Amino acid sequence: MTNDQGQTTSVPLLRMEGIVKDFAGVRALEGVDFEVRPGEVHALIGENGAGKSTLMNVLAGRFADYRGRITFAGREARPTTPREALALGIGVIFQDLSVLPNLTVAENLLLGHEPAGRLPGTLNRRSLVTAAQGVLDAAGFDLPAEARVGTLSHARQCLVEIAHALRGDVRLLVFDEPTASLGSEDVERLFEVIRGLKARGIGIVYISHRLAELPRIADRVTVLRDGRVVGTRDVAGTKVSELSHMMLGRRLTEMFPEKRNTPGEVLLRVEHLARRGAFADVSFEVRAGEIVGLAGLVGSGRTEIARAIFGADPARGRVTLAGRPLPRRSPRSAMARGLGMIPESRKRDGTITGLSVAQNIGISVMDRLAGVAGFLPPGRLRANAERMIGRMDVRPPDPGRAIQTLSGGNQQKAMLGRWLCRDPKVLILDEPTQGIDVGTKAQIYRLIMDLAAEGRGILLISSELFELVNLADRLLVVRRGRIVREMTPGGPTDVDVVFAACTEKEPA
Amino acid sequence: MTAGDAPAPAPAAKRRPSFQLIQAGTVLLLLVVLCAVSAARTETFLTWRNLVTNLLTNASYVGIIACGMTFVMVAGGFDLSVGSTTTVCSVMTVLVLQGLADQPPWLAIAAAVVATAAVGSALGAFNGASVAYVGVNPFVTTLSTMLVFRGLALILTEGGQTLSVPLALKETLGQVYWGKVPLFGAAHPVTVPILVFLGVFAVSVFVLRLTRFGHYVYAVGGNENASWLAGINTRLVKATTYGLCGLGCAVAAVIYTGMSNTAQAASYQGLELVVIASVIVGGTPLGGGAGGLFYTLIGLLLLSVIENLLPQFGVEEEYRNIVRGLIILVVVAMDTLVRKRGRR
Repeated sequence: MTNDQGQTTSVPLLRMEGIVKDFAGVRALEGVDFEVRPGEVHALIGENGAGKSTLMNVLAGRFADYRGRITFAGREARPTTPREALALGIGVIFQDLSVLPNLTVAENLLLGHEPAGRLPGTLNRRSLVTAAQGVLDAAGFDLPAEARVGTLSHARQCLVEIAHALRGDVRLLVFDEPTASLGSEDVERLFEVIRGLKARGIGIVYISHRLAELPRIADRVTVLRDGRVVGTRDVAGTKVSELSHMMLGRRLTEMFPEKRNTPGEVLLRVEHLARRGAFADVSFEVRAGEIVGLAGLVGSGRTEIARAIFGADPARGRVTLAGRPLPRRSPRSAMARGLGMIPESRKRDGTITGLSVAQNIGISVMDRLAGVAGFLPPGRLRANAERMIGRMDVRPPDPGRAIQTLSGGNQQKAMLGRWLCRDPKVLILDEPTQGIDVGTKAQIYRLIMDLAAEGRGILLISSELFELVNLADRLLVVRRGRIVREMTPGGPTDVDVVFAACTEKEPA
Repeated sequence: MTAGDAPAPAPAAKRRPSFQLIQAGTVLLLLVVLCAVSAARTETFLTWRNLVTNLLTNASYVGIIACGMTFVMVAGGFDLSVGSTTTVCSVMTVLVLQGLADQPPWLAIAAAVVATAAVGSALGAFNGASVAYVGVNPFVTTLSTMLVFRGLALILTEGGQTLSVPLALKETLGQVYWGKVPLFGAAHPVTVPILVFLGVFAVSVFVLRLTRFGHYVYAVGGNENASWLAGINTRLVKATTYGLCGLGCAVAAVIYTGMSNTAQAASYQGLELVVIASVIVGGTPLGGGAGGLFYTLIGLLLLSVIENLLPQFGVEEEYRNIVRGLIILVVVAMDTLVRKRGRR
């Protein structure tokens, strides 16, 4: 990647040296060195719990008790409150936007700094809009100052947030997983904006766990693992597979068990599945004992395809399960025929807050557990849960605990248990390891392998390419709602091949 | 609190009590303190006549409807129309009794009960269909039907006339629904409404805690989206809770009618507020997914004791609404503050 637009110099804007931060005796950061040059996009990547967010929170002045040295713009700095960080010129765009959807763009931008009107307590609307327009012009954003923020697309709301951050004299802007909830076109628009900021000499820290994005936006990348820096690389010339290795280390080989599944007869057959605006002419098969991976960038239509098969969204086309047409009226009808799905967003679509682990696991089989008049003896629910907790190694192994008190990984194991106790023929797993620590990931990989070895069909969707490459027997590459390629993964280098297939431009 | 965790020996980690438990505990403590103070200060409070014949009997009408309301609210819903539904039901009871005045009393009463139950369930199901299948917000739906049902009662009573139970049936109806059963000896009779309430409560506890449907009610209140993706017919579950709430109104209406022997289109206004207050003060949160019938029972008892104490402590009628309102606000405010601290 060339730096034709950014006037990258070798004098760093930010230098963090030997940053150490403990949480209640647990070391989160262990002597981290990190630097950002002016006009540079420096990506910060690592597994969940590697310390990315902690490092940025130190920078944003969220903690007072850290050790180490921070030099910003040539001067020693030690921000201990967000206000101090802001005064230095450090802005942070968090993943969950903090814009107020009911207010206009102008009101959002000048929130707390509204120009006063003639009467006390009133505000001067005209100068509010003028001032906001000034902020937008300075940022170089073409946004309607008087539009309500809630009516804008997510990407444009993101721009409002960025403009808000740029209101002061910001010299370093941190993006914390900005693309997590953006569609592919919005991502491109966001990247344009970041390139614009970069050209103005603003230093950018870009936190992400999507390796696929990095070559499009970042100049350098620093990999964190277990609170330490593994290394810093120039993005140009660094392969995705190398970054995966840096993030996971030795564990990469240990995490994936030997394949011992042998594909049998066709269980799931999808023919010409289509939904306007989402995907078109999707056809593929999943065999018994086979793991089929759906690869593709976020927004390519992977999740939409999965939801349509499961009956959660309407779509045209034909789906057959074990030889019989699958009614796709609702998840309920798909489930009755032996299909299960772990949804992409565990919090929104998976766990049922307030319910116990036992209820969360048993919810899918209560029709089987219940007797006359729907009577469901607590012991039966408990026994069912204990069986799954044992098999999935859910910790703590307490069926009575409220589900939300478990860690993300253990919640996900409970979700797997929910479907497994129904003994499904085919299981769709949409991003099954998102937001899960490395140790639990390895356990989930082993479980997926076991499920396939038992003769179930698995449709695996994941943004983590090394996961797909190491687990799947076959890979289908989805681009813009179409399956464009089928691949059979072989060795670890395939990560780069699959990556290329996912990001390839359409032939004009 | 779930049905699944009854004898859970929590290993290793200490389990923090849920917010609902904290609130219920606070309310229970308040209840005990209030009872102790009144027992010490007045001689009339701690008498069988006051506690059972008066306080608990009055509480049982509200309680029967509150059981249904608990289902609705645990599933994340809300029902403002219970007062109007109860009115329509009581009009229905009297109309059927009038029509069957020359039949054997047991037949007429049985027919009236069945017809009223059907009407109550149907009105509830109408709410349920609007909320669950059309998707209209529960507040808006039941605010509208509160007016519609009240209007229906006006039409059925031909413009608001008082309907009376026919003389031939009056005595039997009174005996059946307003009788006293000497459960603890002749000096300590228990009224029928209390027994009916206990029956309704027991069945409700069974359904909410020990059946598949009950678990679904909590699931839908906890995360409707996820419940749907887990294969639950979430619309049917939600609609059914409103049907049950309507059925509760019907049962209460029959008992009310047995006591007053009349039905009026203007009755039971404001009943919905007392019922909802009982559920909320007990600790079932707006939005659902938690709480339950025992919480409602505690809330109901607290509000009933306060209602009973107001005249005994000489609080004049014009001040009583202020006291009622403030108590609800204070209990929920305390709970909110505890939650805030818990989050820190």
